Amino acid sequence: MFDGYNSKVAFYAVYIQEAHPSDIWQMRSNIREGVIFRNPRSDGERFQVAESCVRTLGIRFPALIDGMDNTVERLYTGWPDRLVLIGQDGRVVYKSRPGPFGFEPAELEAALMKVVPQVVPQVAHQVSAASGKVTDQ
Amino acid sequence: MRKILWVLLILAASHLTLCAGFYWAMLQPPDTFGRIIAKTPVPFMMVLPFETMWTSARAGRLQAGDAAPDFRLPTLDHKSAVQLSSFRGVRPVVLVFGSYT
Repeated sequence: MFDGYNSKVAFYAVYIQEAHPSDIWQMRSNIREGVIFRNPRSDGERFQVAESCVRTLGIRFPALIDGMDNTVERLYTGWPDRLVLIGQDGRVVYKSRPGPFGFEPAELEAALMKVVPQVVPQVAHQVSAASGKVTDQ
Repeated sequence: MRKILWVLLILAASHLTLCAGFYWAMLQPPDTFGRIIAKTPVPFMMVLPFETMWTSARAGRLQAGDAAPDFRLPTLDHKSAVQLSSFRGVRPVVLVFGSYT
């Protein structure tokens, strides 16, 4: 999805307060994967955890780091995870239900297709090219 | 017969109390909620309509159509900061909120 829309839409990961830090709510699945971090106590510590996250998960779009006051998380009710699409007019086009249950990339993509309709013909062109019917749209 | 009714009534009341308690917890800041749920026995969570309650408790006030609240946040590499409003009239923005754990 990022590749398809990267040239027309700005993608940002907003790194927020940890969902299951070791000192508050340790999850067994995180122990299995060795993802064990205490709740960051300073901006510096938060940047470090975000750095590991971006590197290990291979997140390709730029990451923004929410402050220790969690201002942006609270503005968007971002915790524990959430997807938001903001239109060119600065208004919210799509806000997912709260994660983990509501984290639905397919819903975001549907919203993106409405905002950036130009991307659709490109995909259609590729499909028809693959099937041998090359049409120049 | 009356005994069974009483038992059912008590069970229903405890279930409602549990739901209300959890809903209150879900409305608390993330670390408070995390501390509460970390101490909650798993069977308790299984009898709750967790997802329905969660979706409602963490819906937030912001809705589609609202002006997106502006913010300025530093990038991970410390090299710059991003002001959301700088994209107005330029291009749409996708925000992916999340953490590592």
